[in-house]
Amino acid sequence: MGMRPTAGYRAALWLMAWAMNLSVIGIIGARSAPGGDLPFLQPITNPPLPIPRDSQWSRQPLDHFILAHLERVGLSPARETDRVTWLRRATFDLTGLPPTPEEVAALEADHSVGADERIVDRLLASPRYGERWAQHWLDVVRFADTHGFEVNTERPNAWPYRDYVIRAFNRDLPYDQFIREQIAGDQWGEDAATGFLLTASALLPGQIGADEPSKRLARQDALDEIIVNIGQTFLGLTIGCARCHDHKTDPISQHDYYAMQAFVAGVEYEDRDLRTPEANALRAEEGALKTELAQVQADLTRYTPRVGETSDHQSLADGSAKPDLGPTAALPSENAVAVRQLKERQKRIEARLAQVAIGQRAFAGNFRQPDLIRVLRRGDPEQPRDEVAPAVPRAMGALELPKDAADPQRRIALADWIASPRNPLTARVMVNRIWQGHFGTGLVDTSSDFGRNGGKASHPELLDWLASEFIASGWSLKHIHRLIVLSATYRQAATPDSQGEAIDAESRFLWRFPPRRLEAETIRDAMLAVSGHLNLAMYGRGFDLFDKRGGLTGFKPVESFDVEGRRRMIYAHKVRREREAVFGAFDCPDAGQSTARRRESTTPIQALNLFNSRFTIDEAEAFADRVQSEAGPDIDRQIQQAYRRALARDPHPEERVEAEPVVRHHGLAVLCRALFNSNEFLFLP
Amino acid sequence: MSHTPEKLSLPGRQFLDRRQFLSGSASALSAIALTSLLGQDRLLASGTLSIQPARPFAPRPPHYAARARNVVMIFCAGAVSQLETWDYKPALIPLDGKPLAGGPAVTFQGPAGELARPQYPFRPRGQTGKWVSDLIPQLAELTDDIAFIHSLTSKSNTHGPAENFISTGSVLDGFPSVGSWISYALGSENQDLPAYVAIPDPRGVPQAGSNNWGPGFLPAVFQGTPMSASEPIRHLSPPPGISPTSDRAARYLLERMNARHLTANPGDEKLAARIASYELAARMQLSVPELTRFDDEPAHVLRLYGADDTANPTKAAFARNCILARRLVERGVRFVQLFNGAYASGGDLNWDGHSKLKEQYDKHAAILDQPAAALIRDLRQRGLLEQTLVVWCTEFGRMPFFQKGAQGRDHNPDGFTCWFTGAGVKPGVSHGATDELGQRAVIDIHPLYDFNATLLHLLGLNHERLTYEYNGTQRRLTNVEGDIIREVLLSS
Repeated sequence: MGMRPTAGYRAALWLMAWAMNLSVIGIIGARSAPGGDLPFLQPITNPPLPIPRDSQWSRQPLDHFILAHLERVGLSPARETDRVTWLRRATFDLTGLPPTPEEVAALEADHSVGADERIVDRLLASPRYGERWAQHWLDVVRFADTHGFEVNTERPNAWPYRDYVIRAFNRDLPYDQFIREQIAGDQWGEDAATGFLLTASALLPGQIGADEPSKRLARQDALDEIIVNIGQTFLGLTIGCARCHDHKTDPISQHDYYAMQAFVAGVEYEDRDLRTPEANALRAEEGALKTELAQVQADLTRYTPRVGETSDHQSLADGSAKPDLGPTAALPSENAVAVRQLKERQKRIEARLAQVAIGQRAFAGNFRQPDLIRVLRRGDPEQPRDEVAPAVPRAMGALELPKDAADPQRRIALADWIASPRNPLTARVMVNRIWQGHFGTGLVDTSSDFGRNGGKASHPELLDWLASEFIASGWSLKHIHRLIVLSATYRQAATPDSQGEAIDAESRFLWRFPPRRLEAETIRDAMLAVSGHLNLAMYGRGFDLFDKRGGLTGFKPVESFDVEGRRRMIYAHKVRREREAVFGAFDCPDAGQSTARRRESTTPIQALNLFNSRFTIDEAEAFADRVQSEAGPDIDRQIQQAYRRALARDPHPEERVEAEPVVRHHGLAVLCRALFNSNEFLFLP
Repeated sequence: MSHTPEKLSLPGRQFLDRRQFLSGSASALSAIALTSLLGQDRLLASGTLSIQPARPFAPRPPHYAARARNVVMIFCAGAVSQLETWDYKPALIPLDGKPLAGGPAVTFQGPAGELARPQYPFRPRGQTGKWVSDLIPQLAELTDDIAFIHSLTSKSNTHGPAENFISTGSVLDGFPSVGSWISYALGSENQDLPAYVAIPDPRGVPQAGSNNWGPGFLPAVFQGTPMSASEPIRHLSPPPGISPTSDRAARYLLERMNARHLTANPGDEKLAARIASYELAARMQLSVPELTRFDDEPAHVLRLYGADDTANPTKAAFARNCILARRLVERGVRFVQLFNGAYASGGDLNWDGHSKLKEQYDKHAAILDQPAAALIRDLRQRGLLEQTLVVWCTEFGRMPFFQKGAQGRDHNPDGFTCWFTGAGVKPGVSHGATDELGQRAVIDIHPLYDFNATLLHLLGLNHERLTYEYNGTQRRLTNVEGDIIREVLLSS
């Protein structure tokens, strides 16, 4: 999906031409500024493929890099895993769901040339792919449906950005355009995309102190969140440190920080009208409904009794009076009927009005004349120093705009600079995130910090090779997924090996596939998929995890979910700070700060939640019902079907023997509850 | 972050004199303690900590020897007025009802009104003669053992960010809480209970909610587990309808499945850790209900805390939370956070006394005073204060003037009081001072970073070395700040 040449885009082109004439936009890349020797600020190379001694193992070019490195450190790759394990791994990785028994059977039946390639194509074409990978992205940008801080009120129009991200992944929107739209999507008619700018916690006007210093500090905090988000998400740079002092290790001065802030100084944390056909239709309907409502209300006033009942008069007209207690009783009966009908109509209109209000707007920012940005001593808004113009860090280029540049120009220029194939960080950072999504750890293990404090790349040439491949493919994420999932590296078994453990305990060199626990959302989604309860309805307003959608603390969790609540967890209304009552304990981010990579901790609270929660019991029972209807009354067949659904395999003979008396005496749901808690279910194989 | 006094009130000078006297008398003892500390710098040498996944709460030694092994933190949400509690400002009495010349026209919530005298009488207490308000008569009796810090400052004048700041060292959401840092560093002495328990107030949770006990970017195992005397740990037992035999059957199948899976994947630590977590969960199912049953608490103990106060059920519930705190400490739980006060309510549910401060504080102090004082006394009586640090804190203070048209005080982050008592704390100290109206810290100004650095130090943790790598930065509770407030240490 390419860029549409809208008026905004033409304006951007014009701006670029103008800027180049004035030699304002300079080269992108390292200059001889302090810190410019950072490895990831060097231009991306396209290294030749290494030639490993074993010429048979590789399936993909990337395997050459992995194998050559393993040979260099004296390790050899693990055996190739069986195809069903590979299918289960790839299905979880690409869609966040387990394969169905039918998909397993189809795989086992198909040994034709290109069978695996077709499976990967199927997984990448599934709408479940976007739901899975959007979650990784939302972690990084710390997306939530509430404003955060103590009042934590609902942010009712945040979800269009979540849907935008899902759609972008599903249609394989070229990543450079994905960046441009999130920073300046208003220029391409992608209004929801700029929700990216405002994903942080924000103090609302009523929460900010009435005094001027409080207001200045709140505005600075709001701008800081935007530019920190841009820096860490797209560039893998922790620029926030430079708010108060020059970055201690990376080439970002305090001046650079405020110059970056100036690019977004015209952004306000507010809703903006969506301009999609759907939103326009809703707005048109809303207008018509309001006209109709006014007419109904005018009609109602005509029936109001004349004798001085002012308060009842008003309550009747605004519909708040109860029908049986209102003054209608005093009216002639034919009038009472008419009033009742009008009020029913009014109620219908109001209900529909509430529905059409949803989906017209997105919390995606309003754009205005930018604030004047100054360097602030120690980051203190009460100690302003020199005024700065929008500019990128000096060590990274010479892009600088005039101090009076208007808002869209600023954001477009920044977006284009980031989304350039010549920016040394952008492609590297993103291919590394994809790698991390598949192997648990990136080639650079600090996926949002490519600075000097960040980790070193385990395979620097491979990182560059992938980045080059990414750009050459037209910034196609699906292209990179395909390379990885079809590689010999990815097909390795997860079996531990003493030599591997001794040399490289964390499998950074990938002598095996590093097993990992499923994430919170994946566990919940997988339980629903296995139980047959999963509701695949996509998009829109999120379902409730708590008794309220925002506000002061004291959220009471929903325990039993209806159909709406059995959607994939990415469609949950995400309350910042409140971890979901069962799965939140599985290191589910609370959207306070960016989560570049999920922790994987193990706690007794997780065990209690997964073993004892109403959710688990409900889904275990649904799972048992489903298996019974699929397998019939024979207990052995039930056990077999339960294993196939949950673990994509048949039970071993001793497992059948163990399970049989339990199922016979205590019911199938007991086995289902145990399966949901088993390590085999909870770990990516 | 010590600062020379710009201007010193008469009471301020008196306090200073008394402080110097006390520090002089304690110096010999301090010297002995100090020499015993030298050369005992153990563990955590490079700041990297290795946690066994299967035993995340295994006790770990501190950086250096310290008296305090556990912490009870009494967190009064809503910003307790220093002027009605610990920071006596008699200069306000003659100025009552007069405008503050040169004062701010507008503060957090709106236009400033006139200066207001302390709303409660103060009187000298104990051996030190420390002036404390009649608002909290029972806590006031403990001042001989307390080390007050009167000159704290916060980075925010808004409850949410300010609670974040005192609890996590950052005004932003998403950073690890102090209790998480401590349980990450030290593990726990009890392997059958969580290392860190957060006890919300009976009226609700504070304004920054679970941020106050959240793990931030630390592993989730180190987050505070919320529970109270009336609300047990969630999912501690299966929902109604699951019979004990079917529960045991499910557990049996699960154990068999996991054991077989581990055999097929020998030596995989993560799998072993998950198995261990189910075993710990099973032990918690046995040990947690006993914690809140209180069968073994004699009537005089319940009475001491006020847990028998039928006329004030909120107080009785808070008292039961205080008893729970003691029971947790007795069982070796590392960090217990006890909240007094809930969320924003215009001051009705917490200490946010904007409108009718006296009326609201009468109510809140009646809930806090007896149970909290009883907790400290009980800990001392049982010898637990020898190894337990008690922290009393609040997110910021309040203004010396009322808000325009109101009988309450607005937010004030520029000078307020928190205190320590118990293990490792020098008793009877009043450190730092606000100006004579109690508006700004002027002597020995300490940002809350210093308070948290001192708290860690009291547990034998060097705040500059207790780090965790996040996004390529070695993060600390104290960011790049923090000076230990040595004046409140027994052995400084």
